[in-house]
Amino acid sequence: MHMGQRKHWKKAGRAAGASLLTLAMLAGCSSSDSGTEAGGDTANAAGADKGKLSIMLPNFEAENPPENSPVILKLEELTNTDVDLQWVPSSSYDDKFNITLASGKLPDLMVVLGKSPSFINAARAGAFWELDAYLADYPNLNAMNEIVRNNASIDGKTYGIYRARELGRNGVTIRKDWLENLGLDDPKTLDEFYEVMRAFTFDDPDGNGKDDTYGLVASKFNGPWDNMQIWFGAPNKWGEDGQGKLIPAHETEAYMEALRFFRKLYEEGLVNKDFAVMDATKLPDPFVNGQAGVMIDVADNAQRMDQKILEKDPNATDRVDVLQAMEGPDGLRDMPTSGYSGLIAVSKSSVKTEDELKKVLSFLDQLNEAELQDLLYNGIEGQQYEKKGEYIVPTTDKLLLRDLTGLNQILMFVPENRYLPIETTPVREKVAEVQIANRDIVIPNPGEPLISDVYAKKGPQLDNIINDARTKFIVGQMDEAGFQQAIQLWKTSGGEEYVQEINELYAALKE
Amino acid sequence: MNSKLFNTPGGRVFDVFNVVLLGLLGILTVLPFLYIVGNSFATEAEITGRSFFLIPREFSFSAYAYIFSSSTIFRSIGVSIFVTVAGTFINLFFTMTMAYPLSRSDFWGRSTLMNIVIFSMLFSGGMIPTYLVVRSLGLIDSYWALMLPGAISAFNLIVVKNFFQQMPAGLEEAARIDGCTDLGVLWRIVLPLSKPVIATFALFYAVGHWNNFFSALLYINDSDKWPLQIMLRQIVLLSQGTVGDMANMDPNFVQPPEQSIKMAVIVVGTIPILLVYPFLQKHFAKGVMLGSIKG
Amino acid sequence: MNERNRSAATLQADGSVLSGKKKEARWKKELRRNKWLYVLVAPGFLYFAVFKLLPMWGIVIAFQDYQPFLGIRGSDWVGFENFTTFFSNPDFFRLLRNTLVLAIYDLVFFFPAPILIALLLNEVRFHWFKRTVQTLVYVPHFVSMVIIASITYVFLTPQGGVLYEMIAWITGRPVDVLSNPDTFRPLIIGQMMWKEMGWGTIIFLAALAGVDTEQYEAAVVDGAGRMRRMWHVTLPAIRATIVILLILRLGNFLDTGFEQIYLMTNSLNRDVADVFDTYVYTVGITQGAFSYSTAVGLFKSLVGIVLVLGSNHIAKRFGHSGIY
Repeated sequence: MHMGQRKHWKKAGRAAGASLLTLAMLAGCSSSDSGTEAGGDTANAAGADKGKLSIMLPNFEAENPPENSPVILKLEELTNTDVDLQWVPSSSYDDKFNITLASGKLPDLMVVLGKSPSFINAARAGAFWELDAYLADYPNLNAMNEIVRNNASIDGKTYGIYRARELGRNGVTIRKDWLENLGLDDPKTLDEFYEVMRAFTFDDPDGNGKDDTYGLVASKFNGPWDNMQIWFGAPNKWGEDGQGKLIPAHETEAYMEALRFFRKLYEEGLVNKDFAVMDATKLPDPFVNGQAGVMIDVADNAQRMDQKILEKDPNATDRVDVLQAMEGPDGLRDMPTSGYSGLIAVSKSSVKTEDELKKVLSFLDQLNEAELQDLLYNGIEGQQYEKKGEYIVPTTDKLLLRDLTGLNQILMFVPENRYLPIETTPVREKVAEVQIANRDIVIPNPGEPLISDVYAKKGPQLDNIINDARTKFIVGQMDEAGFQQAIQLWKTSGGEEYVQEINELYAALKE
Repeated sequence: MNSKLFNTPGGRVFDVFNVVLLGLLGILTVLPFLYIVGNSFATEAEITGRSFFLIPREFSFSAYAYIFSSSTIFRSIGVSIFVTVAGTFINLFFTMTMAYPLSRSDFWGRSTLMNIVIFSMLFSGGMIPTYLVVRSLGLIDSYWALMLPGAISAFNLIVVKNFFQQMPAGLEEAARIDGCTDLGVLWRIVLPLSKPVIATFALFYAVGHWNNFFSALLYINDSDKWPLQIMLRQIVLLSQGTVGDMANMDPNFVQPPEQSIKMAVIVVGTIPILLVYPFLQKHFAKGVMLGSIKG
Repeated sequence: MNERNRSAATLQADGSVLSGKKKEARWKKELRRNKWLYVLVAPGFLYFAVFKLLPMWGIVIAFQDYQPFLGIRGSDWVGFENFTTFFSNPDFFRLLRNTLVLAIYDLVFFFPAPILIALLLNEVRFHWFKRTVQTLVYVPHFVSMVIIASITYVFLTPQGGVLYEMIAWITGRPVDVLSNPDTFRPLIIGQMMWKEMGWGTIIFLAALAGVDTEQYEAAVVDGAGRMRRMWHVTLPAIRATIVILLILRLGNFLDTGFEQIYLMTNSLNRDVADVFDTYVYTVGITQGAFSYSTAVGLFKSLVGIVLVLGSNHIAKRFGHSGIY
């Protein structure tokens, strides 16, 4: 966004001859951090081959890696590219993203956190390259998972490389020692699950003689309920009604069945009384403090719980286990994630020609190689980690770790994770096991790739109607008739149009 | 002040009541901050284990050690202090110079200007147009972008203007007869008599600068120039993404910052600006105006 | 109060309509006479022109379907569609009611609190105590709302919160303040008082600093008691400031603040918690609704300007100087 620097680049390009001109233009419209100037000089010195890329990406940490971070320098060396990272704190990424779109001066690559309306509209208006025609030449990028690629697409077109996430990520984190204390087996079905929660609540699973435990911890966050509904046979947001039409999950009988079960849990005190007012960030606390025995969330949270319990009491080993979904009337089913977390899109205003695009795509392709995944995920051997057989042991030195902070945000993991894994613990192994097993039982949401205008306008309100009614039903403030009224309200508030639109889009997509 | 004024029996009962009430209020309001300070020195285990405490059982300085192990924090504190000090001077200059003419009823054009001020207090062009203006002035990545776009708060301007208006008119007349220009009147009479007002709005503006993170986010791309609040806010809000799909996917999982670090960052980010108030407080002493008039 | 009438002639100039030629002459004369005032006002005027008035064109996006990438020129014009969507929203009256009720609570309970504290502080005779309390009460202003919300939860959760247990013990029946719609507004106002009351006193303390001590002495001579002095000397001295702050507050009458309410809202109290500010945010999550939120903002600003001008007019009728 620095005009001065932009001119400077163009001048340099012309002076150095035609070969540099393209590079200068590649850099031309990109905004510059301080420090890129220094980087730019070395680029010129190193010769005409070295490309330059500006990347806007979120940082979920409090600090950015310094520009002279050895990890970044290594990345530049391995890819033969000057990488100009424009960090934006995650908490304000959307604002900065929109501002950048509005300014018309986009960096070469942008991490897009989700299919937000401003991204969709910008993509439709031609702000980003449509990649489908080019991907065949790049072995890694071409091996994108079709389902996920479809989920991440806009109007059936690919406007970016998705950043892959585990599809079957969810799991049931449970207190292993409590099960053992009570002589119970791992619950496998919904009935067994219920029995375990009762036992956790009433049979003093921690053996301290006090009635200070309960089964499941839940919070304001809707995830756990959404997840459990699917065990009962409810569809994932949208389900086919048998005639090829989509109906929303809350109109199915399985959904009501799940609600009755939740209500029973609440009535009997098997779930925390204050779940409706508890902030989602507090969800792990009761589990770590030994008040709650079950937590339904992403399976990898089991590792965090394990570690937190260990931090509290170094002797408290082997307390946490993670299980797959509970088997319901329709067999084993679980809620998937969308399979990706944002995209990396290539801007048309900075990457002007197909030749430039191809360079950018080979850069992205290369990032998926094991070497680069390792570098950006684990860091440099001897600095951020030590090797131990086929595993790595990360350093605890926070200053060294800072050199790596947030760099995994530009990784796509396409087609798969190739970095060296961290040394496993039993919980870690179990998490991996559960997540792989989940892939076969996840129920995809057929509405995921569809972009609904009605939802864009009224979506959150519609969601609130149903989610609020569900909570009120669970805590007993609403009966089944009341819930049916809420569904009616949902329909009249725009739900009806929404269903119709989704079905039209769905029919169009199937053709 | 003459203490005889208050020595009636009813007055004493009132005093006791008043002191107790305000004392309680003071304790009640400072409690959350003490909680934060307490947490910042506590171990993670204690924080998850105990719901509320002011003094940790086991003192730990690890949160502060972590924060100050980074060079970033010193740099960003430096940026914050600079922007706060320089920005406040700019604010005061712009506000006082504009408020004085507006306080003069013989200033032709006053109501038009006041209309503009009030209009711009209530209506705003929004984030993107303002950004485009700042950019077209070439202020992106410059500290000016953190100080100029908010150089006057319409609210503060109106209040200052009204304080000026309440000043005894006789003094100005006297100064004018002594041959002072309007400039002289403002500098020699109005401003010296307005010390409590200046102190108040210096504080308001300073706190505004100190707490501002949004301008920096929008206008400063170079993270070396980020003020403390960006880092602070990021740390405080970080743990909000730890459940569900937003949870960090990383199996190596960089832990979300520990609660104690969060709290320590708040302490570090708040103490400097808290210290400003006691220094300004002396200007709130009663009778300042009277004293200057007589002296 | 002491509105200065320097000369009758100049006062007249302010509002009177004069013919073009005469006006120009007046303009030149004014410029010469008050040249220093114009020099003084120039930087401020420039500031408002560049940073406030220039971006005002952004308001037109309220009449568009604005997309950042397309810009104002590229985005579609939709006329009043954003407004009609807003007003015809089935929730509109619920939102309006919630916003108004909360705004009135705010005005009745929150607004006077700092004045009261300032008056009480003014009566304290021990300087160290006064200073200490002043410093303590303004501390919570610096504690972010996220932290306040989290502390509130810790205290009030039915799962063993200290305050929850205390309320249950005192009243004999448990009240879940966090989820009960009836307690939502008191909760919000309570949090606001806790956080901002002390901060609000500062401006009144500044006003009190201007009170002439001779007036107190005169009041004592007249035999006025403590309360009467407060009522007849102290309060009038800060009345002008109170009126101005009140008028200015009315300008943001419909701004209830977003973050606090958003943090305290849950499925069980949403019916009373939803206000314009949170609604715009909720819609904005999926919509990136620049146009829509600008339209709602415009509506709130219009209400604000009517209230400001109206109350300013009333204040003048009652002999106050008003804001201008």
